[in-house]
Amino acid sequence: MDIVRLERVVAVVGAIVVAAAALVALKNDWKTPGLENQVFKVMLGLLALGAVLALFAAIGVLGNFGGKA
Amino acid sequence: MSVAVHGEVHGGGVADHIHPEPQTFVRKYIFSIDHKIIGIQYIITSFVFMGLGGLLAELIRVQLMHHSGALVNPDTYNELYSIHGSTMVWLVIIPLLTGGFGNFVFPLQIGARDVAFPWLNMVSFWIFPPAGLMLYSSFLMGAPVAGWTEYPPMSLQGAAGTSMWAAAIFLIGVSSTMTGINFLVTLLKMRAPGMTFTRMPLFCWAQFATAPLLMIATTALGAALAALFIERQFGVPFFDPTKGGSPVLWQHMFWFYSHPAVYIMILPAFGMISEILPTFARKPIFGYKMIAFSSVAIALLGFMVWAHHMFTSGLAPWLQLPFMILTFFIAIPTGIKIFSWLTTLWGGKIQFSTAMLFAVGFIATFTFGGITGVFLAAVPFDLHAHGTYFIVAHLHYVLVGGSLMAILGGVHFWYPKMSGRMMNETLGKWTFWLFFIGFNGTFIPMHWLGLLGMPRRVATYDPQFQTWNIVATAFSFVMTAALLLFFINALYSLRNGRKAGPNPWNARTLEWQIPSPPPYYNFKHVPAVFAAPYDFAEPLPYRGLEGELDPSVPAPVPAGH
Amino acid sequence: MALASSSYPVAGAQTHGEVDRLYAETRDLRLNGFLLFMVSDLVLFSSFIFAYLYLRNSGQGWPPPGINRLDVAFAAFNSVVLFGSGTTMHFALENWKHGHFMKYANWLIATIVLGVTFLGGQGYEYYTLMARLHHTWSGSGIFGASFFTLTGMHGLHVFAGVCFLTVLLMQSVMGKYTPQKYFGLTAGTLYWHFVDVIWVLLFSIFYLI
Repeated sequence: MDIVRLERVVAVVGAIVVAAAALVALKNDWKTPGLENQVFKVMLGLLALGAVLALFAAIGVLGNFGGKA
Repeated sequence: MSVAVHGEVHGGGVADHIHPEPQTFVRKYIFSIDHKIIGIQYIITSFVFMGLGGLLAELIRVQLMHHSGALVNPDTYNELYSIHGSTMVWLVIIPLLTGGFGNFVFPLQIGARDVAFPWLNMVSFWIFPPAGLMLYSSFLMGAPVAGWTEYPPMSLQGAAGTSMWAAAIFLIGVSSTMTGINFLVTLLKMRAPGMTFTRMPLFCWAQFATAPLLMIATTALGAALAALFIERQFGVPFFDPTKGGSPVLWQHMFWFYSHPAVYIMILPAFGMISEILPTFARKPIFGYKMIAFSSVAIALLGFMVWAHHMFTSGLAPWLQLPFMILTFFIAIPTGIKIFSWLTTLWGGKIQFSTAMLFAVGFIATFTFGGITGVFLAAVPFDLHAHGTYFIVAHLHYVLVGGSLMAILGGVHFWYPKMSGRMMNETLGKWTFWLFFIGFNGTFIPMHWLGLLGMPRRVATYDPQFQTWNIVATAFSFVMTAALLLFFINALYSLRNGRKAGPNPWNARTLEWQIPSPPPYYNFKHVPAVFAAPYDFAEPLPYRGLEGELDPSVPAPVPAGH
Repeated sequence: MALASSSYPVAGAQTHGEVDRLYAETRDLRLNGFLLFMVSDLVLFSSFIFAYLYLRNSGQGWPPPGINRLDVAFAAFNSVVLFGSGTTMHFALENWKHGHFMKYANWLIATIVLGVTFLGGQGYEYYTLMARLHHTWSGSGIFGASFFTLTGMHGLHVFAGVCFLTVLLMQSVMGKYTPQKYFGLTAGTLYWHFVDVIWVLLFSIFYLI
């Protein structure tokens, strides 16, 4: 298994875990009041989005994936 | 008493924001965390820089007395106007209106004991004088030569002072950003109980519209300055077209800040005018809500019009049209303000004190400058007038005839509150008339010169423009005389002025209901507010102020800091 | 009282009675101030992002001629590390609010470790680009200007965040915060989330489009 493939596998698994964790946290916090918690919710959502983007990048669906570097 | 008031009135206010009484001279007057002292520090520092910037302005005018240049060589001339513009924008007008008057006046007007972050406020101020000295130190290593806008590629080729300029303005930007954050939190969270947004004095509304501009636009400028600095010092190409960069990118980044910045320089001035006019017309301000909301509208629109500075920079034609139309839109909220002020005066019992003279003069000259601004927003006219003295005339009409005129009015208005003594009215009226005549005499001819094609930022000019340049220079000395008279008056009255008492103008906002100068804790009891302050027929809409002027009521003590 | 009628937000397991009035007031001010600081920091990034997109669209395609493409796979891996640190930080704060000190400390240490790992990954990426491919900050045109400036600025923010979290860890060990009064931890979490979210943006515009 070469290093690039290992990176991709770790990224895919990690991205799924992170996205799931962020979404679960978001669900648990959905009804918390308070200004900072509203900001936390937005940021957890964006975090999940980022993880999904990273997932797609890792499996090669998204991205400028020439990979020469 | 105060507890009972709290019980009746809903909303806001931070009760415990009292500092211990400052004991030493240093803590009281130098490294003070009191918003009033910091405001006065800003005002004094800015007026010192205004002296320097004014000196540069006079050197420019003397240079232009003869068409081949009467004083200095062209390179030095470039340095003079670059530092003159930078000084007046960043070291004079913006700090006076926000850090200076903003700091001193609006926390008192909303019934707060200080701004939200007093220590941060002190840091903001103490960044400012060193940054100003850095700006002036650039003369020692070759000052910037591309004007206050420092367009590349010229700013990339300028001497080492240009990097110093970028660093100095960056620091001032950091200071402004902190001030903006501080003011916004203060206005959002520290209004006295019962002071809803629509009961705030209009100066507070003006600061409320300005603070986000300070916070957001200044940071954008910081990015542009950082990029310029990095490019000059490390050769990283952002703006150099020979390495793939784009000089127009700088113009976008710079004007994305600097167009909102012109509203930073005028919105608080609008707020001052909105306080001065009803006080001396003895009449409620006309259209309170329209004036308040139009400030916010101007602030929002101000972010969408920056490229009207770039009609000659190769902007795509389909982009020019929306920028032109959006710029026209700004005339609408501004016009609402002008008409509201005029209607405030209508039928009022007007007292022409010096502050009122400046306020009325402001309406005249600012409207004039605003109208030339609408001309310049039109693409075809801008293509003709761009880079000529018409621009110089326009921007001085709004910044000197607008902002500075309001500042001078504001000084005459709030000087009794700051110092406890009145300024001399006779000297004040002389100041006004000399300033008004000198100002118009200096800058009206520049419109004609600009339309005839005299380019700005050039050390020499065609002999056909000679006559009006001599006129402008002559009147500029009248304006300088007026400002000298103003400084003399301010210094003289500090010791010899008549005692002011708490409320010499019979004004109705909260700062006039406490002693002059206000004590370090501002209010013994945070008052409760029941209405906007402008209804001159009604009793004052405050409760809980009974002990403020009574020396037997003790000062409040800080709780558990 | 004024406080009872004001809209003081209460986090997690707290109630009004447990938090003293002075703390509630200053906390409210500091929270608003900190959020506004984040807004202005976002504007700083946005300006550079605007510069990058402007330069990117003014040249001859992207990456510019003579510049290698970026390694998307490695960037995805590194991004997941940083995003993961965002969730661990969230768990740390949740545990603190509920008084589980050891769990809090473990999650916070995990966050710091992931943050340092991200910085290491970025260092490796820089090493590859600079030392092996000779794409330098000042020597590779608008690519260097935009990529290294923006990611470097973000890296500095991550570094500052790691320092911030380390200080918070030490302060909480020394007993500066309680499950009722912990504004520093809120600020640290906000800042760390901010750094993550900025990276979502930077990752998208540099590696995905």
